[in-house]
Amino acid sequence: MASLGKTDSASDSALGYSTLESGVGNVILTSADALLGWSRGQSLWAFPMGTACCAMELIAASFSKFDFDRLGVFPRQGPRHTDVMIVAGTITEKMKPVVIRLYEQMAEPKWVIAMGNCAISGGIFYYDTYSVVRGVDQFLPVDVYIAGCPPRPESLQDGIVQLRNLVRAESVSPGVRYRRRTEIPLRTAPAPTTPAPAEPASAAPASAPSKDPA
Amino acid sequence: MRSYLFGVLWGFAAAILIALTALFGVWWERKVAGRMQMRFGPQQAGPAGVLQTLADTVKLVVKEDITPNLADVPVFKLMPYLVFVPSASAFAVIPFANGWAPFNTEASALFFLAVPGMGALGMLLAGWASHNTYGSLGGVRAAAQLVSYELPRTLSVLSLVVLAGTTSAVGIRGAWQWWWIVVLAPAFAVYFISSIAEVNRGPFDLPEAESELVAGYFVDYSGIRWAIFMMVEYSGIVAASLFGAATFLGGGLGIPGPLGVLLFVAFTVAFTTMMIWVKWSFPRLRPDQLMSFAWKVLTPVALVQLLVAGVVSAL
Amino acid sequence: MTTTFAATMASIAEKFKSAVLADSDGVADACIRVEREELLGLATELAAKGFDQLEMVTAVDYRDRIGLIYRLVSATLSASLVVRCDLPAEQPRVVSLAGIWPAADSQEREVLDLFGVAFDGHPCPKRIFLPDDFCGHPLRKDFESPTLIRRPDLI
Repeated sequence: MASLGKTDSASDSALGYSTLESGVGNVILTSADALLGWSRGQSLWAFPMGTACCAMELIAASFSKFDFDRLGVFPRQGPRHTDVMIVAGTITEKMKPVVIRLYEQMAEPKWVIAMGNCAISGGIFYYDTYSVVRGVDQFLPVDVYIAGCPPRPESLQDGIVQLRNLVRAESVSPGVRYRRRTEIPLRTAPAPTTPAPAEPASAAPASAPSKDPA
Repeated sequence: MRSYLFGVLWGFAAAILIALTALFGVWWERKVAGRMQMRFGPQQAGPAGVLQTLADTVKLVVKEDITPNLADVPVFKLMPYLVFVPSASAFAVIPFANGWAPFNTEASALFFLAVPGMGALGMLLAGWASHNTYGSLGGVRAAAQLVSYELPRTLSVLSLVVLAGTTSAVGIRGAWQWWWIVVLAPAFAVYFISSIAEVNRGPFDLPEAESELVAGYFVDYSGIRWAIFMMVEYSGIVAASLFGAATFLGGGLGIPGPLGVLLFVAFTVAFTTMMIWVKWSFPRLRPDQLMSFAWKVLTPVALVQLLVAGVVSAL
Repeated sequence: MTTTFAATMASIAEKFKSAVLADSDGVADACIRVEREELLGLATELAAKGFDQLEMVTAVDYRDRIGLIYRLVSATLSASLVVRCDLPAEQPRVVSLAGIWPAADSQEREVLDLFGVAFDGHPCPKRIFLPDDFCGHPLRKDFESPTLIRRPDLI
């Protein structure tokens, strides 16, 4: 289950951004927003920073049964040619400077997806280890968290779609972060209903409150 | 003055057409490769994903332009164009219709063979100017590979020239006979394989070996500069297929009228698809295998074919 | 234990006065406990007697001592053997067996890295897993680190 880091306009304005709440903007800028948002969202090339088991699910998501490519996502090696770094797997203290270096080599605009419990919080290695960094968001600005150990390829693709919504809502107007806050369909916990027998194992997502992507 | 204006307009039109060719090539590859791997290719951008490459291009244009700190900046920035312009100029001499090519000269077949070879220098310098070990390795491999595979390609086209009696591509298309398909079959095979190697494609993509060199000579290029390298590769595929269909198969088998045009287009798409098929089926060749294949297999075959063509044309 | 193996063990036990045949708990065909002064001699003797493969070097922290465990295998005798050697916990030093079995090279570096056991005569005595500037030896029972979070129900 993927969930966006929660950002709100209060913290945005504290950082100096503003949000066009009413969708106001001249036709050139909104058209530019639409074109750039569509193209950036449609062709998110992924840098697969896969270190552990989640990398297997990441690779499986790009194979024939689940197929990344129909979303436009193409796994490319080489940080300079990619837009989104999918951190899939456990990051240790020894690996941390490598990840930071590769992230800095990526060209703007860039996003980060934390895939799997180890990248979100250290996962099963939270207790009793001396070497694991407990969560990639301790040193990278994460945009989408995908929980699971490992998350299914469908979850990863759902996370890509959520990231695409986030990307599409960004704006090139100076000083403006998002065009319309309401355009990012945030996933909230579904209302409790009588459990259907054939419900897949997608329980109420733990929407992880995150720091703002800097 | 007017002819200069026309020239500039034609140049723009040609650049846009070549970009569209590359766009088509990328889209076609992703769909064909997807279908060969039992999956769909791009599906969501436009009908059947045709706008996917447009999205990729727009995204790449607005990416950040990174120049490595220690890179040789003027050379670094110039290299994509040094690789693109010779490769794109190959489109000018292809006989698209019976008796017409955009640039029709007496030695246009030699032009087609020689001018894109300047791209080898560009790749070498691109890797070197990146100040990156893997880039330099990729650039050196590119230069060695391109120079080696020039020879079989030139010899195979020379068989055509011998049979046609002229080095003009338009003249070769005009002089096509049906039995060329039989006599020149080995030459066509050599030409096809050498063309794949010339555009750094398929089993010969050592200079950009992903699992090895992390994108080889264009490892430090981002955004539109990288996109230009990719355009070189895909437009090179289409140019090689066009030239092969126009000369080895007589541009629609010499049939006049719309049927001939249809056949010409069909052959071009078929050869492009074969190049994509070959790329996604075979593992990469080692450098020594690559070199020995060019020098010990393709060149002798092309030489023997040249001999056969000479004997046949004297009959 | 085959007869040859039993005879080998018996001859070793009487040659090194601190070598004691112990119960191997089923992990090997035999177990020898030895003091660290005689470790090098015992190892040389075992290598000469046909134990040509060192499978594993590891250690256990018993809080008052550190127990080194070597596991040896002999193809000619079709037997496996565990050699245990206890070291004092404050300054664990022992001779390196890398000269006898090359496999000891990297495995002793692992024990150095994670337990802090110093191996005299080791060709390259530096850490193998952890970063070189890491403080402490994590598999010791008294390892403390600000980044280490113990499971609450196991404290």
